[in-house]
Amino acid sequence: MWETLANLAAGLAASLEPLNFLMILAGLAIGIVAGALPGITMLNSIVLVLPFTYLMGIVPSLLLMTSIYIGGVFGGSITGILFNIPGDPMNVPTTWEGYQLNKKGQVRLALGMAIMASAIGGFLSALILTFASPPFAKVALTFSTVEYFAVVVLGLASVVVIGQVSVAGALMSLFAGMFLGTVGTEAQYGITRFAFGIKFLETGIDFVTVLIGLFAIGEVLDQLSGSKAGAGGDAAAPSTSRARLPSPRQLWALRGSLVRGLGTGVVIGAIPGAGATVASFVSYGLEKQVSKEPERFGTGVLEGLTASETSVNASTGGAMIPLLTLGIPGSGATAVMMGAFLLHGVQPGPLLFAQSPHEVYTIFVGMLLANLVMIVMGLLAARSFAQLMKVPEPILAAFIITFCFIGAYALRNDMADVWLTMLFGILGFFMRRYNLPIPPLILGVILGPLAEQYFLTSMVSHGNDLTVFLTRPVSAAVLLTSAGLLLWPALKGWLARREAVRV
Amino acid sequence: MRSLRGAIGPALIFLAGAGLFAAAGRLPVVPVPGQLGPDFWPRLILIGLMASCVLKILEVARGREGRREPTALLPLSRPKLAGGMALVLGYPALAPLLGFPLTTFFFLLAFMRLAGMRRPLPLLATTLLGTVALLYVFVKVVYLPLPKGAGVMEDFTIFLYRLLRIF
Repeated sequence: MWETLANLAAGLAASLEPLNFLMILAGLAIGIVAGALPGITMLNSIVLVLPFTYLMGIVPSLLLMTSIYIGGVFGGSITGILFNIPGDPMNVPTTWEGYQLNKKGQVRLALGMAIMASAIGGFLSALILTFASPPFAKVALTFSTVEYFAVVVLGLASVVVIGQVSVAGALMSLFAGMFLGTVGTEAQYGITRFAFGIKFLETGIDFVTVLIGLFAIGEVLDQLSGSKAGAGGDAAAPSTSRARLPSPRQLWALRGSLVRGLGTGVVIGAIPGAGATVASFVSYGLEKQVSKEPERFGTGVLEGLTASETSVNASTGGAMIPLLTLGIPGSGATAVMMGAFLLHGVQPGPLLFAQSPHEVYTIFVGMLLANLVMIVMGLLAARSFAQLMKVPEPILAAFIITFCFIGAYALRNDMADVWLTMLFGILGFFMRRYNLPIPPLILGVILGPLAEQYFLTSMVSHGNDLTVFLTRPVSAAVLLTSAGLLLWPALKGWLARREAVRV
Repeated sequence: MRSLRGAIGPALIFLAGAGLFAAAGRLPVVPVPGQLGPDFWPRLILIGLMASCVLKILEVARGREGRREPTALLPLSRPKLAGGMALVLGYPALAPLLGFPLTTFFFLLAFMRLAGMRRPLPLLATTLLGTVALLYVFVKVVYLPLPKGAGVMEDFTIFLYRLLRIF
């Protein structure tokens, strides 16, 4: 306990260093703006700042990225409340209630409540991350490759199942990503696989090129080709965009929604593949279930807005737990952050707490600070967003592609990475068009090589005995959970059909 | 007919998977006793890929494709899409020849025009200022060795860098 507090004090001192604090401010500003502008997601903006992080050390880089993450998940709620335009799908439940409050003339309260709920959710989840991660990392140190393999399988299974329209499509996407992860020289035999004589493929496909291409370029092409609906909706110009923070009495009255949103956000955020969007919808649904007047939801209910907004930001702390303690990113945003760790020569995982406590605790304190500073930034952003929304889309789109070019080129100063990024961008467009989910492919590229490494090492250590995955309790429990997750959609469909036959 | 069209993509991916499965069998494996070869893992994944393609085809055939995203159903502008793809692929193709500054200038100009920016003065001003700002940040501040071009274009890029005092 004292050791943690001492580390936190050192982290606070480091976070308040001018460059580090500047990165928190810059990250929040970028995140809020990117989260609010339809077409630029929080994830895109984290990807786009990657080339800038080459200039910095690991601490400012990660503070910049985590602050973008925190600001980004919140930003879309401002435009949702003001213009009925959620910046990201995760802000949709907030928009349902927030825009109705706006139409009722309570826009200032809706904005203020969204800011406070986000800050409270984010701050408390960062606090949970701070105190829960070190003991969890100690437990993780006792894990062997068998348990690690099981955890990676759980990550892969959950990304296939959670929030997907078609499990078959998600599986196709996941296996395609895992296959891409096998391209290049493999570690055990030193044999080059699937390079087909192409020199740059021998070193493998960097997941950052896949990530930038599929997310950023694919999205730009999708918007350019006109397949995205206009962002106008039935937006009405708000009479004011100034926020009014809720009073302590108002906050106390909403304590139930805050606690439920926090719990949902942290737990769902920590599940690989789930993330903020799932958290916001689940917490909104939960709030409706426990409400005495569920029929009022959708007409401007503060409880719905509070729960969804709290859970969205609470998911940020939850999502950092598997990344920092196991070295397993569970979402696109944490995958890019893992990329930043690796670029700076730091390997996330249980040893991180022993080898780089300074960096880890600075990130923890940085997240705590960012959530506090976000109250001020949110108030300022709410004032100026009416102007910001006027940035022409053609300018944004063209510069996004240029940043993608630079970001991909900066990986290895090699045009081959730029080519790969652009080609993955075109693939991303077609995946969107044909309704194939993109996150499973990304996580397949990232987690696939980890799964292979852990599986083959386990096999070498245990004489190719597959039963080892089922005889070790942690591994067996995690693998059974994964199997349950994968079988659930089929079981649900079978039960529904049986019910329909009965009726 | 519509369901048949929906099955073409998974069927093609299935065939690609089968081809890659065969290619994995041709890897120059020197077997080590007691160890799985380098072809084991990719083959396992490719079996998964082919099985999921079969599942998808069955899903399409039974009309259980699930809820489609609204964006996937909206009409698209083929000329804009073709132009956008040509620009996205032309950018890395031309950058090593013309150099990053000139290619970026032309790319920004063409892409913003294609995306609907029509007034020439703001278009030119945004392109010019944007290109110069990018050069200042990434060449002078970040020291990124962006492509300078080939032959005479390399000389031109260096001349431009000197003019901007970033080289």
